[in-house]
Amino acid sequence: MKKFLNLLTKEIRELVTLQLIGSLVFTFVLFYFIGQLAKSEAARAAAPQKIAALDLDRSDVSRGLLDNLRSINYIIEPAAAADKEAAVEAVRRSPVNFLLVIPAGFGEAVSRFETREVETYTFMRSFSMSATRNSAVFRSVIAALNRYMSDEYLKQRIAEIPPENLKNPIKSRDFVVIKDRQAQGSAGDIAGFVFGQSIFVPIILMMIIIYSSQMVISAIAMEKQNKTLETLLTVPIRRSSIVTAKMLASGLVGLLSAAIYMVGFRFYMRGFTGDMRVGAEVSQVIEKLGLVLDAKGYIILGVSLFFAILCALALAIILGVLAEDFRSAQSLIMPVVFLVLIPYFISFFADFRTLSLPVKIFILAIPFSHPFLATQNILLENYQAVALGILYMVAVFILLVGLAARIFSTDRVLTMKLRWGRKKVVL
Amino acid sequence: MTMVLNVEGLRKSYGNLEALKGISFQVEQGEIFALIGPNGAGKTTALRIIATLLSPSDGRVTFLGHDLKKEPEKFRENISYLPEEAGAYRNLKGTNYLEFMARFYSRSAAEEQEFLGRARDIAGLGGRLKEKVGTYSKGMVRKLLLARALMTKPALTILDEPTSGLDVINSLEVREIIKRFAREGISVLLSSHNMLEIEFLSDRVALIDQGRILDQGTSAQLKDKYQAPNLEVVFRSALR
Repeated sequence: MKKFLNLLTKEIRELVTLQLIGSLVFTFVLFYFIGQLAKSEAARAAAPQKIAALDLDRSDVSRGLLDNLRSINYIIEPAAAADKEAAVEAVRRSPVNFLLVIPAGFGEAVSRFETREVETYTFMRSFSMSATRNSAVFRSVIAALNRYMSDEYLKQRIAEIPPENLKNPIKSRDFVVIKDRQAQGSAGDIAGFVFGQSIFVPIILMMIIIYSSQMVISAIAMEKQNKTLETLLTVPIRRSSIVTAKMLASGLVGLLSAAIYMVGFRFYMRGFTGDMRVGAEVSQVIEKLGLVLDAKGYIILGVSLFFAILCALALAIILGVLAEDFRSAQSLIMPVVFLVLIPYFISFFADFRTLSLPVKIFILAIPFSHPFLATQNILLENYQAVALGILYMVAVFILLVGLAARIFSTDRVLTMKLRWGRKKVVL
Repeated sequence: MTMVLNVEGLRKSYGNLEALKGISFQVEQGEIFALIGPNGAGKTTALRIIATLLSPSDGRVTFLGHDLKKEPEKFRENISYLPEEAGAYRNLKGTNYLEFMARFYSRSAAEEQEFLGRARDIAGLGGRLKEKVGTYSKGMVRKLLLARALMTKPALTILDEPTSGLDVINSLEVREIIKRFAREGISVLLSSHNMLEIEFLSDRVALIDQGRILDQGTSAQLKDKYQAPNLEVVFRSALR
């Protein structure tokens, strides 16, 4: 045990370099900074918008329209100009980004139920995220004006019936059914909530697998490049301990790096999406449908993630042996990256159940697919599928570790390498 | 004298290439035994097999009575190996590297300190041991590695080109250290291209070419046999 701990300490010390710490801190700060920036931009865009209004009609109808806009939280500033051109010029020189022009005769025309145009001017001063949000302001303004006008028409013509009853005579009560449970609520809200809650699982998984694998491959490649592997293989310690120490150290450092990146990434995402807090109504529906990961669910998901990481580390050990130096190690991470990206994208963009059988078999054959599928299966109580996935990963891990230990206990650890020039494995 | 290492009919093939074609030799306690030969003769392959890095295709290697195939761990406990192009962990300080290696062999803290004290003497790097290995010159790394190989006073030390990368002064110093440790009972198996070095260091020499030992004996015996003034001429004559 003393020898193993000695080796493990060395491996961790080799991996945790100033460059790694610097890169982690830099990325964390960058994510945090971008997140805060996006948050303040979003807050600015969500604040009540100032709209300059040039009312050339000056009728009760046009005044009613502008009052309606004020009532739904727009700040209406009358444009101090005699005509449209002067108003455009005045707003262009001011910090206001929107100008609404109501033409003369507007009130009279709409009173005769004729459609009339109002003119909208959006002053684009940049192409940032807030500028793109500005483009939607007049869409909501016009929608609000149309709603107001149609309600007014209906009130004039059919005073005894509320306009809402005329416009939307059919209402619905939505129910969501999951297995033997049902609850009143919107399927869209539920799906959005579950997606929002589980969006980080695949990202965390992908980052941990890629980081840890990269570290194992690099650790072995560096031993080869620095000519330390031969010496290490002649010290009195079991070869399997060398493999285990490298896997464990890389797993721990990979886990820590991924955790730091994820905290930073969460700050970044919150800047764009907000805190994803859910209303009490949706929360009750979620609970009633059992769509909350309880302690058992987290443990099962953790076990699934753990074996996926072990599989990745064992595969990385074998790939690391193929590396001649640090440079070639960078290329050898690619198979692991592809094997992680396939289930990662499938989990985001496709429904596994609707895929064709050959594609399903292909996906299930990738050990890293199982934790990606596990979150949904746990929420839907498909525990058998999760258990089979874990068993499959255990089998793959045993196979890969056996292969890695065998490679390390034979000449192949020194003689096996991938020669890019000839594109073949030399044993 | 006690026989420490016995190599009998050792063969090694890489696919169709036969690197060793049945070599045999013995190394006794406190003896410095050298393998000399051109590049690709099979010297490093033989050293790597004895250091348990490669497995033999055929033949038998025993070390203090332990068989290489059956008990490789006994070899690792009592043999230290210095490869020709060895390096040390660049992110570790010299002292940390020596501590790391000493802990694999020491049975107590006191023994570890004894190893480290000896390593400091051999390396002769003084205060530089507290700096990272990445800042060392090639010669400094070589001395650090030699200190690592000898600090545990192993029963057998395998040195592949021990003075590789060292200047004349450091080479002389290293040769003296090897001689001193051999006098204290450590057996040394080495290979070198430097015939002067071999003549100065070795008690016995084996001439190896294309995986075969052409001849072996003391430098004096070989020079006498081939009527040659030095080992270079001996080697050339043996090749004919």
